[in-house]
Amino acid sequence: MKQVKTYCNQCYNGPDPFIMNVEDGMVKSIEPDFACEGFSPGQGRVCVKAYGLVQKTYNSNRIKNPLIRTNPKKGKEEDPGFKEISWEEALNMVSDKLKALRRKGLIDGAGYPRLAVSMGEAGAPAAYGGTFPAFLSAWGAVDFTLGGGEGSKCYHSEHLYGELWHRGFIVVSDTPRNKWTLSFGHNTNASAGVSGVMRHAEARERGYKRIQAEPHLSVSAVTSDEWIPLKTKSDAPFMYAMINSILYELNWKRVCDLEFIKKRTNSPYLVGPKGYYLKAAESEKVLVWDAAAGCAKEYDDPSVRDYALAGEYKASRAMEKGPDGEEWTYDEVSCRPSFDLFLEHMKPYTPEWAAKICDLPVATIRKMAREFVESARIGEEIELCGERLPYRPVGISLGKTVNNGPGGYQSCWARTILAMLTGSLEVPGGTVGASQRLNRPHHDRWSSVWPGEDGFFQNFLNPTDTERREKLQKTRSHYTELVPLVGNTGWSPFLSPVPHAWLWYNETPENWPKPTFPEVWIIYRVNPNMSMYYTDLMLETTKKFPYIVAFGYTIDETNWYADIILPESSDLESLQLFRLGPSTHSEAYWEEYGFGLRQPGGEPPYNTMDMTDICTELCSRTGILKEYNDAINAGIISSVRLQGKGYNYLLEPDRKHTRDEIWDRLCRASVRLLTGGKEEHDLEWFKENGYFTVPYPLIRHFLHPVMVKWGLRYEVPYQGRLKVIGEELGRRLEEKGVKWWAEQLSEYEALPKCDDYTKKWDHALGRKGLNPADFPFFLINTRSMHFAWGSNTSLPVLAEMAGYVTGFGGVVINAGIAEAKGIKDGDPIIMESPIKKKKCIAIVREGIRPDTVVLTGQFGNWAMPFAKDLGIPSINELIEPDHELFDAGGSSCDIVKVKIYKE
Amino acid sequence: MKRWGMVIDLKKCTGCQTCTLACKVYHGLGPGVTRCRVVEQEVGGFPAVERLLISLRCMHCNEPECMKACPTGATKKRSDGIITVDQDECMGCRYCALVCPYQARTFLGIEKRYFSGDDNIWESLRYGEHQVGTVEKCDFCHKRIDEGIAKGLEPGKDPAATPLCVVACIGKALYFGDLNDPGSSVSGLIRERKGFTLKQELNTEPSVYYLPRRR
Repeated sequence: MKQVKTYCNQCYNGPDPFIMNVEDGMVKSIEPDFACEGFSPGQGRVCVKAYGLVQKTYNSNRIKNPLIRTNPKKGKEEDPGFKEISWEEALNMVSDKLKALRRKGLIDGAGYPRLAVSMGEAGAPAAYGGTFPAFLSAWGAVDFTLGGGEGSKCYHSEHLYGELWHRGFIVVSDTPRNKWTLSFGHNTNASAGVSGVMRHAEARERGYKRIQAEPHLSVSAVTSDEWIPLKTKSDAPFMYAMINSILYELNWKRVCDLEFIKKRTNSPYLVGPKGYYLKAAESEKVLVWDAAAGCAKEYDDPSVRDYALAGEYKASRAMEKGPDGEEWTYDEVSCRPSFDLFLEHMKPYTPEWAAKICDLPVATIRKMAREFVESARIGEEIELCGERLPYRPVGISLGKTVNNGPGGYQSCWARTILAMLTGSLEVPGGTVGASQRLNRPHHDRWSSVWPGEDGFFQNFLNPTDTERREKLQKTRSHYTELVPLVGNTGWSPFLSPVPHAWLWYNETPENWPKPTFPEVWIIYRVNPNMSMYYTDLMLETTKKFPYIVAFGYTIDETNWYADIILPESSDLESLQLFRLGPSTHSEAYWEEYGFGLRQPGGEPPYNTMDMTDICTELCSRTGILKEYNDAINAGIISSVRLQGKGYNYLLEPDRKHTRDEIWDRLCRASVRLLTGGKEEHDLEWFKENGYFTVPYPLIRHFLHPVMVKWGLRYEVPYQGRLKVIGEELGRRLEEKGVKWWAEQLSEYEALPKCDDYTKKWDHALGRKGLNPADFPFFLINTRSMHFAWGSNTSLPVLAEMAGYVTGFGGVVINAGIAEAKGIKDGDPIIMESPIKKKKCIAIVREGIRPDTVVLTGQFGNWAMPFAKDLGIPSINELIEPDHELFDAGGSSCDIVKVKIYKE
Repeated sequence: MKRWGMVIDLKKCTGCQTCTLACKVYHGLGPGVTRCRVVEQEVGGFPAVERLLISLRCMHCNEPECMKACPTGATKKRSDGIITVDQDECMGCRYCALVCPYQARTFLGIEKRYFSGDDNIWESLRYGEHQVGTVEKCDFCHKRIDEGIAKGLEPGKDPAATPLCVVACIGKALYFGDLNDPGSSVSGLIRERKGFTLKQELNTEPSVYYLPRRR
């Protein structure tokens, strides 16, 4: 038996190294790799999905050869008539199509890229795509906005606002040092990977307290100390009331971290009568009020002795700057610290107000507020890497549906405010960002932060002025025009208002262009016809796409419409070097970082091809080989350049290199990069050893030291920039006659108002002429570790594992409600939304609110082998997106009101 | 004399079934056949409700009912306490499965496959390691233990000499070691965290202990 090292990155928490046990060219089994126990956050262990990789490799239902469609008609009921062809034929067909596209030009007559590419699994495909990024770079303009669920299946608002405020693409508690966490639906045990499960298990052993607030007893609530059965979408009111209780009942002057509030936030920034930051007329620096000196001073004036947080003052020779450069200057003007405005803003949001919305005892909210501040240990410090840092072991985490749609922004803001009040933002034990993706570099949080305007760190948002907006490349989701916060870097299109791109094919709103179909659509590790909501509309739309190239594993509901399917070598069959740490997603921050190799474990059972070889061949045959090699040389793969001081591994521009040649050079260059040119390891070394890492100081996972170093402040609580951006965006859209984004524009508030979001769905039903009372249940969705990301829906062994966990296989319904309706556990029932009714199995449990039903995972398959026979509906089939339920980031959430009844 | 045993921390188990699948793949087990698994039990009524997660496997009892019931002597108890089934001696009568209070045994009546047909090369190879018509159960991965000890490794400490479910558990909820050694980690955990066994009233003296979820 030979042991071969590789990694699993089926979800965004990876890569997790592991070992394949190989005999006679076959991967017989899988084991943890304890050689990396000391530095991998998963400590060498892998989750249930990785053990499923054996079946994923030897799955009899895989696509075994390239396939070409023989039936020109496309539709759910049309058998594609797929016929096996050789790789030579397949590659020529695809490259002929691509060459024709290039001859016409990369951009179509309407201004959209002719080529669109969709990838799924929250960025995980990057760890499997080989040199696919080099192919895309070599190609040129590509539209990535026809996505497979982005904006509703991710932590969308957290991504946008987390990055804006504290470089937190994902925001988590610093679990290893945390003592108290309140989780609003964050399904850690299903979503946070090996490191998340392990860290929380160890924290429980250590005695930390975790409270889970959500409508059903999820797999994460099960292991929490308390479950608060919070009503769906009442998270923001709950947190607003916690803030109110802290400010007014517990007394902010007594219980809050005033040092942090004054020095690390914009709380003391003065705000003028028009609601913008008040600035010194000459220097245009924001003013604060020095209570000790009794006068206004510039925010970074070292002579400020006491930053005023409350009160009204008169400043002289000041100015305000509004949208489009508008200015107002004052000889003398009344002004208030933003914290004072915040205090007034929060007054109406009492625990009594929230308790009615949340459907909870008011004492529960007060208890959480009290425990939160009492656990914060304000004033304490901890030593990390030889430095003393504030220690605030309290955190709040948010689940995906909390994050998106109505109340998403408000939840993110309130969570960050709670961290601000206790000084627990970006310090050990507290609420921290686990990675950054909209800002570079992705692998080092500190390096992504440097001074910007008004004492905050720099952010790169999409422009809201006319001149720069016109120059941006158009995409089918129009994210650069609608969502300033998402920016325009590599990850931005994947976080754009993806649902819109699909919806606009059906119904284009007033004064907005109807998007064209991409002339070639490439899909990789994604099944949008299942993973995007409003499934029926998706099917009607994608069948009209003129040419679809699918990288396929099994037949699925999207490649059913493909013109050609290329079966790539799967996880245990292909080769790629990928970054390990230091900061990926969720809780997987590492204390070393480097590169790990994924490599074939045995002989591939079917006629598949490694992605790198596919990409090299396609580029060669399409005539973009030089651009492809240049892109790899320049560092498109994991930001590793093939030439540096003292080494040159450059690929020859016009030569086709083998897979192993390319990765051998990347192996050598990556080690040079990590060691400052001192060491070199080749592909053979990596095949033997698996990975090469160097230490990464733990302290660099916390922004606090770098904020102190640069003298920067987090832009909370007052959203001065958002207010300006929103007003500018509003003007630009008004100039185009766009009125349908008004609801979303209302989110751009300096101090966000909170509402009873639980009623939004009933309101939407009412607008459609439906009686909300006819649809009394919130249908929500929850993840299972077995099927979250990974494209594993076709694997029976994972379904067997999921079957041991409550929720898989049907819809969970409250026992009391079930009894009243005469429904028993296991009964077939009908679940009906305004657009569709689906048959499913009732799973009767006590651990769910009476007004909620919950589905696990996303199924509803009708083409994918095995999955099509499961008979489990998908929430995506039942949701019709409603514009009122989109947030300013363009995201909505997995919620629909339904009725249920016996079949 | 050693007596190998396992401790399962109910506070750390999340019911993810990583142990279940790691074991299935390692031992090449087919559909519906498990040597260990985590079962759930809901307790209480809304809103005061909990869901218990209990990781189950052969308890490797000191007084094994299965061994007493086995008419052929296929079920054996090793000197280190591990209960094994000799598939060559097992006649498939299933008395053992009937009397096991922990429902830890599965009868391989026919060779079931995940994929129809017999062309799946992994299933063909791995299921051939088991004899149809015999009983299947956890053996504490005794081959890992024996081979590990032969290499000078210590079960419970060295992963290569420890049952795979223990080293695979991502919550690090499983511990393995010598119950007869009062200084072992498992003995210490049982002592300090008030470890208990299931169905104590049956006096089977299991080698699998549980640490309570709440202190």
